[in-house]
Amino acid sequence: MRVVIGEDLFLLRDGLVRLLEAHGFEIAAAVGSAPELLTALTGLKPDVGIVDVRMPPSHTDDGLRVAIEARRAVPGLPILVLSQYVEQLYARELLADQAGGVGYLLKDRVFSDAAFASAVRDVAAGGTVLDPEVVSRLMARRVRSGPLAALTPREREVLALMAEGRSNAAIAARLFVTEKAVSKHAAGIFTRLGLSQSDDDNRRVLAVLAYLNS
Amino acid sequence: MRAVSDDDLFHPGDRVNKLGLTNSGTRSTSSRLLRLARANWPALLLPLLAADTAGIAGPPWPLLLAILALILALLAPREAATLAPFALLAYGAYGFFLMHALLIWEKQPVFYGLVHASRGRYPTWQTSGPLGLVLTESVVFMAVGVGLLARPGAPGGRAVRRALAQLRGTGGQPRTVPPLLLLPVLFLWEELFSRTLWFGDQSWPRLVTVLIVAVGVALVVWLPRAAAVLVVAGTVMLGLGGLLWSGNVQWSEMFGLWAQTRGDPHFAGMGARVVPQSIVLYGGVPLDGGITRLFTGLQGAVLLGIGLALTPRLLTWGADFELAERARALAQRVDGLTRTRSDAAEAAVAELRRIERDLHDGAQARMVAVGMSLRAAEQRLISAEPGAALALVVEAREASSRAIIELRDLVRGIYPPVLADRGLVEAVRNLALDTVMDVEVSADLPAEPPMPIAAAVYFAVAEILTNVVQHARAETVQISVRHVDGVLRAWITDDGLGGADPARGTGLAGVERRLAPFDGILAVSSPAGGPTIVAIEVPCALSSVKISSS
Repeated sequence: MRVVIGEDLFLLRDGLVRLLEAHGFEIAAAVGSAPELLTALTGLKPDVGIVDVRMPPSHTDDGLRVAIEARRAVPGLPILVLSQYVEQLYARELLADQAGGVGYLLKDRVFSDAAFASAVRDVAAGGTVLDPEVVSRLMARRVRSGPLAALTPREREVLALMAEGRSNAAIAARLFVTEKAVSKHAAGIFTRLGLSQSDDDNRRVLAVLAYLNS
Repeated sequence: MRAVSDDDLFHPGDRVNKLGLTNSGTRSTSSRLLRLARANWPALLLPLLAADTAGIAGPPWPLLLAILALILALLAPREAATLAPFALLAYGAYGFFLMHALLIWEKQPVFYGLVHASRGRYPTWQTSGPLGLVLTESVVFMAVGVGLLARPGAPGGRAVRRALAQLRGTGGQPRTVPPLLLLPVLFLWEELFSRTLWFGDQSWPRLVTVLIVAVGVALVVWLPRAAAVLVVAGTVMLGLGGLLWSGNVQWSEMFGLWAQTRGDPHFAGMGARVVPQSIVLYGGVPLDGGITRLFTGLQGAVLLGIGLALTPRLLTWGADFELAERARALAQRVDGLTRTRSDAAEAAVAELRRIERDLHDGAQARMVAVGMSLRAAEQRLISAEPGAALALVVEAREASSRAIIELRDLVRGIYPPVLADRGLVEAVRNLALDTVMDVEVSADLPAEPPMPIAAAVYFAVAEILTNVVQHARAETVQISVRHVDGVLRAWITDDGLGGADPARGTGLAGVERRLAPFDGILAVSSPAGGPTIVAIEVPCALSSVKISSS
């Protein structure tokens, strides 16, 4: 699986390269600035791009912008955004194109390297992985109107875990229920959000997006 | 020894006894009395005045009244000191009138200022020598009264102090013609007609006198500029008149003749020789030729000099007041800036302290722990205890995770990343997303405000949102951010309980302090039952280029 890494701090870039190589990823390119990253992402079309939000030249959200621009150029290009902080605003922007294949994680999640590697694979496969911190802040919101207000507390729990990128099996293990029960909850969520037609992966993305926009 | 406060000076009766005499030695008591005397010495003028007033009644009244006044002065020195200047003014004015009365109709001898004065045979200046003393004394009494009112801090003397400040151009007052001078000028003019105004035997002339004074006071209060013009014109004319009258008595006689034509009965009762001369008074001096010409001329010259000296000030009146107003505004601004600057400096230092403490107790300490754990793991590896080494490495990783979380929170509090990345509007939108209730943001800025102002407004909005979450029990919140007429405005409206009070609690006060260095203000409208509107306004230009949000 080919990966492009965009990270301006050498130590972190080097660490990411070693971590991913150790987990069997092939590093197509590892660059340190936004313009280089855009070239690498659109030119090499990797299986997944791992992008730091804050990068040169302006040291603001250059990485995030490159990620969005690259996905505009190569629709559905899987991107996992890493950052020292997570913001709901940025999560919304990343998911706005509804194409899936998006991850948004805090940098320190790489400490759990196995979980991180699996998140990279999920994103590459078109899944949506949001950092638990974003999700927990979503959970804190009071929803009084809109489709989400119709969800049962259990369904909201399932949706939150879905947003973190967990599979039905993982959700079932987490909530101590059977996978079948989780499927039932997921179906309920899709119905209530009016997402019954499309395929399962895309429905999961749309459900998470609806969650973010609530 | 207990320190003596200013307050003690004015309430000696109980405090001296309770605190001074019982708690302190004689030295402190005497120094207290000294301070008391120094602060309220005008009170001691009252007994003198009382003795003088009672002089007409003869012994033992002066002594008796003086003792009574002394007791009053000692029991209530502050009140007596307040009363003294007014008593002096009144007594001085009384002397002035007394002298006129003697010159014009009073035949009985009078007692004033230790002087027995009578008209003598003819009511002229020469034949009534003591009248000069009465005049001098009355002028001195009035001058001392005005002087006491002008003392800094003397109650009731504000108008006098302002007039003096305007004469000198000090104390934030423009250097101009004090409108209050109209009163003495009117006094001098009325004196010219005293025969027909003050001492007429009908009541209407006195009514006219009172009316003229009332009109004068009204002008001073409501039309100060007109009053000032009258002061200068009146003084110049008086001065010119004085000079003319000193040279030609005929002028003065005109006034007398004018009075004569009024058919005043007193006029007929007096000797034909003295009548015209004795009726017109000028600055307390009868215009009767002879030695008084000298006085009249001198006074005229002085008055003319004063009038001419004041004339140019009329021309610069408007500019002077504008300058004084500007100076006052500047002084206020400097005061405000001095205060907010020290507040801002204090806040900055407190903020640095907080960051230092957070780093010291948090991330720094954790990194030390990480280092220690790794070192211990090293040793376990050497001594071939891989299980223990693994546990230590896991511990180190967890400690570094916690350090990262703490650093992240710290950074968010210093300068929020979204604010740095995207600017104020997007940062406020992100705040809204992080709030547990529905927040509707309508914000539009053509460009970014300066960074310090953006940060201040951001933290202000964050603090207000926190307040709403904690106290308002609101369902929806609306935030509006606009830049109109050079002012950055943020309105936060919630549909909660209302009754928010910026005076209570530290949240809103903190917001105010944060905004103050930028001349920003915070206004709260929060009737019980809601809605609550908190408005923030900071004057600023949107300078930097807007950071695009695409």
